[in-house]
Amino acid sequence: MRLLLISTCHEKLSEREFVHPISKILNSAEHHILHYRECTSDTIQSFDKIIICGTSLQDNEYAENIDIFKKLFHDFTGSLLGICSGIHIVGSIFGGKIIQNLEIGMTEAETLKENEICNGKFEVYNIHTNSIDKLQNFTILAKNHDNAQIIKHKTRNIFGISFHPEVRNEKIISNFLKI
Amino acid sequence: MKLGVLFSGGKDSYLALQYASQDHEISCLLTLESEKEDSWMFHTPAIEWTKLQAKSMKMVHLVQKTSGIKEEELTDLRSIINSAVSKYSIEGIVTGALASVYQTTRIQKICNELDLWCFNPLWQLPQEVLLNELLSSKIDSIITGVAAEPFAASWLGRQIDSTCINDLLVLKESHKINPAGEGGEIESFVLNAPLFTKKIVISKSTKHYSNFSGKLEIMEASLK
Repeated sequence: MRLLLISTCHEKLSEREFVHPISKILNSAEHHILHYRECTSDTIQSFDKIIICGTSLQDNEYAENIDIFKKLFHDFTGSLLGICSGIHIVGSIFGGKIIQNLEIGMTEAETLKENEICNGKFEVYNIHTNSIDKLQNFTILAKNHDNAQIIKHKTRNIFGISFHPEVRNEKIISNFLKI
Repeated sequence: MKLGVLFSGGKDSYLALQYASQDHEISCLLTLESEKEDSWMFHTPAIEWTKLQAKSMKMVHLVQKTSGIKEEELTDLRSIINSAVSKYSIEGIVTGALASVYQTTRIQKICNELDLWCFNPLWQLPQEVLLNELLSSKIDSIITGVAAEPFAASWLGRQIDSTCINDLLVLKESHKINPAGEGGEIESFVLNAPLFTKKIVISKSTKHYSNFSGKLEIMEASLK
């Protein structure tokens, strides 16, 4: 399995906070790390599994470059997981719309549909100013009080997570690797 | 980007400062002096000596007293950050938060309300990795507070060197302590580090210790 972590951080300092912890969870699973601006369509297609990592609350640069992500992932057929900014990117690629929605802190999420990466009720750490709407191509797997927390594409192994699984939900990352 | 660093004088906030200084301009250090020893948000032992650290690093240092009362501390934190914005036009805050959702959530909310970036470069860093990073980065720090069994008074003032780190890792196995003190088991103070122009030498100190809890009170120190 060839595994890639993609950074969406405009500021390199933020990668210590949003990319390195995911890399640590992957541990022995060999993986590469690239910033999205370093990627080409060919690079993306050379991987089987890709995780798009989150970024800082103040960082909205990725949202201005959704067209770049649409081109990068146009021919990708592998498994994809988008975290925080990643769920906005994954959702936008498949018809979703980024909307403003501030969430900071811990809430409880509940699994709505049996799936490969989460189950039951669990505490989640959210830190974002945006959410994704118009999710016709996705199934909501888990939600908190009023927001989708985990989504899955209806026909493909493409997931989005609104919260940060590197905080108290490392198993979700491990489960994604097993798919 | 111009940044202000929440600076307690301990190993974590210093390491965060060092990481941030690699890519950004550090405009000022921000220190809250809590009147309560068991502050919810802010590390307390030796906090008054952060002024010497700032002097050694030739950095602007803003200090504000805080009651240490839960949530009231946040008003004081917002106040000192606001001062840094108006005086030094900072665009973001750096913290040494490692795993505390309680601390980071509150700081993130304040930064968001003030339209500031918030950087937590140690976030989720494994504690063993952090301790080894102190050695590889040549950060000379000592233990200034202990608050867990089986820490004896002899731990106070101890240099955090490779032997000390090995001993902390043994206590991790035997007593389930967080080896870098994330649970408040130990507090630290940096005496010398790459950003320092002079090292801090403690000439007089005293230990206050009882029942696995204690602190090193620094009474006289100078730059050499």
